[in-house]
Amino acid sequence: MARRSRSERLWLRYLILFTWAAFCLVPMLWFLSIGLRPRTEVITAEPIYWPTWSLDAWHMIWRDWPMRAYLINSLMAIAGSVVICVGLAIPAAYSLARYEYRGRDDIGFYILSTRMMAPAIVAIPIFFLFRNLGLLDTVWALMLVYAAINLSITTWIIRSYMLDIPKELEDAARTDGASDLTILWEIIIPACRPGIITAAVIAAIFAINEFLFTLLIASTPAAYTLSVALANFSGGTDGIIYNAIALVAFIAFLPVFLVVLMIQKHLSRGLTMGAVKG
Amino acid sequence: MAAIELQNVVKRYGAFVGVREFSLAIPDEEFLVLLGPSGCGKTTTMRMIAGLEEPTEGRIVIGGEDMTEVDARDRDVAMVFQGYALYPNMTIYDNIRFPLRMRGVPATDHDRLIRRAADMVELGAYLDRKPGALSGGQRQRAALARAIVRQPQAFLMDEPLSNLDAKLRASMRVQIKHLQRELRATTVYVTHDQIEAMTLADRIVVMNQGAVQQVGTPDEIYADPANTFVAGFIGAPPMNLIDGVADGGTFTAPGVTAPCPATLQGKVVLGIRPEDCVVGGGNLTGSVYGVEPTGDMTYLTVNVGTRQVEVKAARDFRAGLDTPLTIGFDPRRTYFFDGATGQRLRHGS
Amino acid sequence: MTDALSNPGAVKAAPVTRPRRRRSRTMRRLFPYLLVAPAVIYLLGITLYPGLFAMWQSLYFVRFNNATFVGLENYADLMRDREFWQALWNTLVIGTISLTVQTVLALTLAYHAYRDPWVKGWRILFLMPMLFMPSAVAYLWQLAFNDGRVISDILMRAGVVDATIPFLSSVWLARLTLIVTDVWQWTPFLFIIFVAGLQSQDAEVEEAARLDGASWFQIFWNVSLPLLRPVIAVAVVLRGIDISTMFASVTIMTAGTPGGMTETISYFIYRTGFRMFNFGYASAASVVMLVLTIVIAQTVVKRAFRSGRA
Repeated sequence: MARRSRSERLWLRYLILFTWAAFCLVPMLWFLSIGLRPRTEVITAEPIYWPTWSLDAWHMIWRDWPMRAYLINSLMAIAGSVVICVGLAIPAAYSLARYEYRGRDDIGFYILSTRMMAPAIVAIPIFFLFRNLGLLDTVWALMLVYAAINLSITTWIIRSYMLDIPKELEDAARTDGASDLTILWEIIIPACRPGIITAAVIAAIFAINEFLFTLLIASTPAAYTLSVALANFSGGTDGIIYNAIALVAFIAFLPVFLVVLMIQKHLSRGLTMGAVKG
Repeated sequence: MAAIELQNVVKRYGAFVGVREFSLAIPDEEFLVLLGPSGCGKTTTMRMIAGLEEPTEGRIVIGGEDMTEVDARDRDVAMVFQGYALYPNMTIYDNIRFPLRMRGVPATDHDRLIRRAADMVELGAYLDRKPGALSGGQRQRAALARAIVRQPQAFLMDEPLSNLDAKLRASMRVQIKHLQRELRATTVYVTHDQIEAMTLADRIVVMNQGAVQQVGTPDEIYADPANTFVAGFIGAPPMNLIDGVADGGTFTAPGVTAPCPATLQGKVVLGIRPEDCVVGGGNLTGSVYGVEPTGDMTYLTVNVGTRQVEVKAARDFRAGLDTPLTIGFDPRRTYFFDGATGQRLRHGS
Repeated sequence: MTDALSNPGAVKAAPVTRPRRRRSRTMRRLFPYLLVAPAVIYLLGITLYPGLFAMWQSLYFVRFNNATFVGLENYADLMRDREFWQALWNTLVIGTISLTVQTVLALTLAYHAYRDPWVKGWRILFLMPMLFMPSAVAYLWQLAFNDGRVISDILMRAGVVDATIPFLSSVWLARLTLIVTDVWQWTPFLFIIFVAGLQSQDAEVEEAARLDGASWFQIFWNVSLPLLRPVIAVAVVLRGIDISTMFASVTIMTAGTPGGMTETISYFIYRTGFRMFNFGYASAASVVMLVLTIVIAQTVVKRAFRSGRA
């Protein structure tokens, strides 16, 4: 009796899991097939499920578009924003995790709450701000915006990891003769390296995914990133160039996927800004 | 090494008093133990000596120099923590080296000093390991090595043995005492374990609820407790404390009578250590509640009226539950305390 | 060894005397503020400044480089604007349905996956959609639903329908495409968090319940779920915030059609500002949203994160 109900449950478990796996994978594989077919086979009277495989899109994105420049723009904006972000987040997180002072919890919550700000709400003022600063259509503007978007997340993730470091460690370093900054640099930062890496990876992913600001700020190809380049493949008289879009989507997906595999253990903690320890 | 002096030190957290009026001179080379239950202010006192916490009032003088407002990092005291506090990202070698680097000891001396410190705690073979790859006892020794690698003004140890298992604790206890004697290091040691306090200390400070209860050598603390708190905290099992009434040279409580100084009158507490009781004799009448043979002796718990009294009986003593029996007290070893304040009432005073 | 010990001077290096630093109390008190200040100033730059700017601009009628002061007229117009309320309502409806579906799916999947021997494999497999750019995912489903008619084709082959479904011409079908897109990409977010939450639960509690004779559903409902509540709260709140700012899929897939019934509030602000160049009016909408955000942050979010940490 007990045995039967258990095997029934296993049967149900795998039905559910495999169904969802199919729902995840089939659209992805199909989209990949879009990227690997000639444009003539994308939109047809009858959908084509087994196309003539071709690297048309691959050649097109490198030949007809400045893909290399898009990639470099994306990389620069993302790397720069992650550096700014983590650089500001570490001291802030340390302050929130380790010191007791008036207003600390309010400051911490303020930082958290900027995560809730819809990009659309601040889009217009930020657009004018960058226009007045002459930063529209530059990678610098993207860098600054991405850093701002991610600062709350990185601060809270790193803070959560810092809270896990025993306070004794700092007391020991202090009696050993270390200054506050030495303690932060030599003890705290190495001890919460997984947290910092997790925060950086998640910040990078959010930066890659950012769409609205990027659309507004990068309105000429000089500052196009991958995410806006996608939108660009849909502009003009050619209509939406789906095979190029699909291919770029997978080009962006691959590095992200590999990096996420490395921080898998920390992913849930990172995604919840430290609130759920995985 | 240096002498440490606490002058009227007070620590308040808002309305809560962590440490009350603490004054004490710790001479050079002394091994001083702060003993008390958790929350009694002993750790706070030590942290104030280390400079990790600032006293609300009073001064702290180390080596003749007023250190009250000096940063922890410039006090030149070394501290060993309960959780060892080894830097997890550094090897043991780098852990021991850290204080040398921080204090600007010339780099050419580092290796020699580190190896010597590691040899003292027999950790020479583990220098290139990270703390995570060491056992609890090895970590403890690494923490000790990090403290002794420089010659600090004083050692501060905050329950350094409480995370070890009982057997290791006993052997580390001996090592620490040996090390302290050899280095002739002024040491302040915090513990809640009275065995550690008795075995290690030159002098013990017993604390409770932020206040010093008694300062004295282990012998004094044991043989001459200042109040019921000290009497009830020291000894395993601790002193029996029996509430009763003194009148005309006789102490009486339900089931208990004993001679007492004729000067005592009214409510008093009689104290008698389990080891100063004998089965048979006429001071106490009760019945057996429990018998616990340990091999070298037998712990006997006796029901007397509504209370229980512990007795250390001979190793071959056995008795069934509820067996009626009488207990005698060694009359030279009875203590009397004020029934209201708990303060010791000295014979003949 | 004893040689060094009997002569402590031999161990001692050249005596290092350092100045005894007496750091002032003010400095010590200020230090944590100094650490947190750069981040806060930076964030004020993208929240306080834009907030004030939007408030200021919302009082003007802005056309190209001309700004005419109109007082609260923009707000008055906004309150009467059927499209604004519709956008708010659309965001709420699409968001609520999508969030509910995702939560239920993620809970079901997490509960069936977390004790599976291949849980790591399931996690990696399931999280993949989340790692695509949202704009790319929008194009994927746009092609599947509309431009490529793949969904219709499959349903026709299965005999469910006999003609191509016009997904963009029906309110609920258009909303459905947005919901499917969001569910496909973001259910993994909740799934991964729920799995982590379930895995960190004490297995003994569940075992005790099983020994007490509870069925798996009883265990899930009475034991696992209540323990998971703080985790669910945090995850759902974070997901809810992101859904409420849904933008990429709307821009790419429906652009608000049919008849503005899939226009979200983010898209409304974007369209008013950057398609109709009515910046003052868009700013007024931004300010209203900002106020709403602050209210929600102060109530729901604060509570969720507090319980999540407990």
